[in-house]
Amino acid sequence: MIVTVNKLSIYVLGGLLLSLFAPSFGYAQTDLDAIKRATVFIYQVQSLASDLVVKCVSTGTIVSADGLIVTNAHSVVPSQTCDGETLIISMNVDLNEPPVPKYRAEIANADQGLDIAVLRITRELDGRTIAAGALPVLPFVGIGASADLDIDDNILVSGYRDIGNQAVTIARGTITAFISEPRGGTRAWFKTRAELPGTMSGGGAYDSLGQLIGIPTSAKYGRPVTEDSCRFIEDTTGDGLVNSSDHCVPTGDFISTIRPIRLAQSLIRGAALDLRVQIHTVPGSMLLSSEPPTVSRLIFSPSVVDGLPSTVVGAMPANTNSLYLFFDYHNMTPETVYELRVTRDGIPDATFSLPSVHWSGGQNGLWYIGSRDQPWPNGAYQFTLLLNGLAAASQRIVVGGGADNSARFSNIVFGLLDNQGNLIGNGYILPIGTIAYARFLYANLRDGTPWSTIWYYGGAEVGRTNDIWSRGASGSDVVQLRPLGGLIPGKYRLELYLDRVLSATSDFVVAGSTGGPLPAVFFNGRYVSASSVFDARDATASSAFTGAVPSIFALFDWQEIAAGTDWTVRWLVDDLPFFESTFAWVTVESGSDFMLSVDSPPDGKYQLQLLVNNLQILAIEGTVGIGQLPIDRLAEYEGALLRGRVLDAATSTGIANVTIVLISEDYSASEFEWKEEQVFATSMTDRNGDFQFARPLAADTPYSVIVAADGYLPLAADSFEFGTDQRAVDITMELVRGYLND
Amino acid sequence: MDFDTGRAEAVLLTPRQRWSMVFSFVLIGLGLIAGANLRDSSLNRSLIYNNVEAGITARYPHRWLLSEAEDYVFRVENTAQLGFNTLMEVRTLPVGPDTTERNLLDRLTLRRSQTLIDYTVLGYDIYVLPDDTAAVTMSYSYVSRDASPFLEGVSAIVAGLDVLTISRGQAVIVSFRADASIFQRERATLDRFIQSLEY
Repeated sequence: MIVTVNKLSIYVLGGLLLSLFAPSFGYAQTDLDAIKRATVFIYQVQSLASDLVVKCVSTGTIVSADGLIVTNAHSVVPSQTCDGETLIISMNVDLNEPPVPKYRAEIANADQGLDIAVLRITRELDGRTIAAGALPVLPFVGIGASADLDIDDNILVSGYRDIGNQAVTIARGTITAFISEPRGGTRAWFKTRAELPGTMSGGGAYDSLGQLIGIPTSAKYGRPVTEDSCRFIEDTTGDGLVNSSDHCVPTGDFISTIRPIRLAQSLIRGAALDLRVQIHTVPGSMLLSSEPPTVSRLIFSPSVVDGLPSTVVGAMPANTNSLYLFFDYHNMTPETVYELRVTRDGIPDATFSLPSVHWSGGQNGLWYIGSRDQPWPNGAYQFTLLLNGLAAASQRIVVGGGADNSARFSNIVFGLLDNQGNLIGNGYILPIGTIAYARFLYANLRDGTPWSTIWYYGGAEVGRTNDIWSRGASGSDVVQLRPLGGLIPGKYRLELYLDRVLSATSDFVVAGSTGGPLPAVFFNGRYVSASSVFDARDATASSAFTGAVPSIFALFDWQEIAAGTDWTVRWLVDDLPFFESTFAWVTVESGSDFMLSVDSPPDGKYQLQLLVNNLQILAIEGTVGIGQLPIDRLAEYEGALLRGRVLDAATSTGIANVTIVLISEDYSASEFEWKEEQVFATSMTDRNGDFQFARPLAADTPYSVIVAADGYLPLAADSFEFGTDQRAVDITMELVRGYLND
Repeated sequence: MDFDTGRAEAVLLTPRQRWSMVFSFVLIGLGLIAGANLRDSSLNRSLIYNNVEAGITARYPHRWLLSEAEDYVFRVENTAQLGFNTLMEVRTLPVGPDTTERNLLDRLTLRRSQTLIDYTVLGYDIYVLPDDTAAVTMSYSYVSRDASPFLEGVSAIVAGLDVLTISRGQAVIVSFRADASIFQRERATLDRFIQSLEY
């Protein structure tokens, strides 16, 4: 049937259209559809001639409307297992169908130790570059507060259960434990019992508000050997067969660990601002060792003080709710995969075990893993550490029995003595000098007990005293190390033994010269602006750069810092970190003009912090431009996506190539004169009649809509609004065949 | 002037004339039927392609250009077509126990994204084969242009459809491509082709 109406009638039809806007939103409380739409499937592929071979797969989550994706690093950063160089992003066009490859992405920021990478969509699927601002608004999720979670809190985990064969799925679970490590603190990992296959690694974990709070993470070590953790899906050798000689796409084991999103935020911020830090003086890659990784000296402590064990225990009483395993590590790299398997009375304990994850510490040092504020049931616990899938060391501890009243040393701190004999200093960094002092607490001791101190430098014993205890039952005492030739820079350790049993241990660093509360390790920090490294050395220092600068360089001098000493660089803009990394010192002990830089820094207040043993030694402050970030640079993208379908009213089939015009809030449909300045956005339906606007709509703002298609009566609607809680709006419109009489 | 008016005498056909007329109509009808058949047989005239090594037999349209290559088992294309030549192509791929239809279609997508301009997957569907088994289809589009920098051809938007089925340890993929403006019209050619396909 063909209908002909006059021009005025379109606004009557507008009422019909308006009524169609109202229904069909239908979001669950946690907005499952929004989570699913923001979930992407990632292929890491390798170019071979004109072909692309799949090397690794993972899940990712879009965290910004302009295409930033958070995922695991191990599946996207080129490595021995995943040696592809191109990343393909598949998106959920239909939430009930597997994802469809749509874009290519690049790594914008990554931390292999934390196993977190931030990707940026930069190219079309065929490799054409996407111009700045040309990417349509993508569905994304907000970032939640991972620090607010508690044990037994419900979570949702979004990802793919197979290699791109299934639609995105959401698993439900609860937080069962928090795992502590030096990198990440008391909540370095969340544990969950949600059933998560390895292909969901890199996906998103969400709180009850539907906000991203973590990244399901598991490591895939070496070449997978079990059929359960790897898939042979294509003939990569070209022999006409798909068998074990072909490349196997690792899928990994089931996941039970989640990295808190808090640990990814500096990476996301750095990527969003496109701030890439370059270290010009010492490339970190020079530190990698070819020796196999090892662990040694496994000890237990009930608590952690500044990253060190408070005391050393061989058993814990009943009702223990805090326990840590400390161990020394050697030759570790970010590619090293480590795992902690805990058994209680011979039965695997999933709560306190840590499945295979990538190493997030340095090359050598002291590490701990454990938990606090969680009950440890009574039993005999066996802790086994595995490195790259092989058992490396094991230690046993019994939890149960009465209160611990045994004699012990604890809480060792290091420093210098002032004129009154008081220990001064920060506790764990000493300047070069002649004597190092250590103060410790003791309790429940009996006079006459043999005790000893052993001092180490660089892992080798440099001093030992054996004595008989005569200072009473409890209190504090001070011991000292006075090496011949004085304290030289490097890593030191003190062990206190009671009756030949290790009772307390702690480490400290000697670096820099005496310079107040903290040793003067780093000094003469300054910023310069230059276009190259060579120009930077001679450029004039400044703390304020008024205009746009090509790069800012941070330079500093250093003294008396030994090779192998861990130091940390943290760079902040407007008080928010966008870069943080810990390195082992490898250059000469003293020197000048150590140089780092960031290119094209946006306006903002910059602060570079240099730390040793987690203590800030030097801060370099400066401003660029107006001294604060442009307001919109880190602003949450607000508004809702408007999408829907245009149907033929007679056949209920989608109409292709229909233009939908969204009129800005300043005009009504009747005032629309087909002028560009009146248009907020336009969209066109695809072959199924589906459409989606590239610009988000502002909440609580009245828009008008006009739909025009040859052969159909036009539609118009005024005062179309939606609430602030809506992230996406789905509408269905029906057009009636007919012609308009002018 | 006088006129004599009156009804004309009716002219009666002789039986012979009547039969002649009937025969004429019959002849015209037979001619039309024969013409239509001739047209159909000309339009639908097909040739048989048989590849013993690949185990594939199919009928393809007469006067379509046949080619074989390493990348595919065979390809036929309508070189008489103005603009982009409608083509059909059959290829086989080895599969393993873990390989799914979707893996293979994604592999085709990744490969084509390297070589085809603006290659875009439009959607997936099911295609019922003559033996009533369900094959998976992937529809897509891309831009085709003449490779020569010295010619002034206008690029064409090509629509394509892959029909994929896994059988006896290998995947058989029939790819059909035509200018997007005539794709639906040409679909019947693909349907006939698949009806005749044996593998």
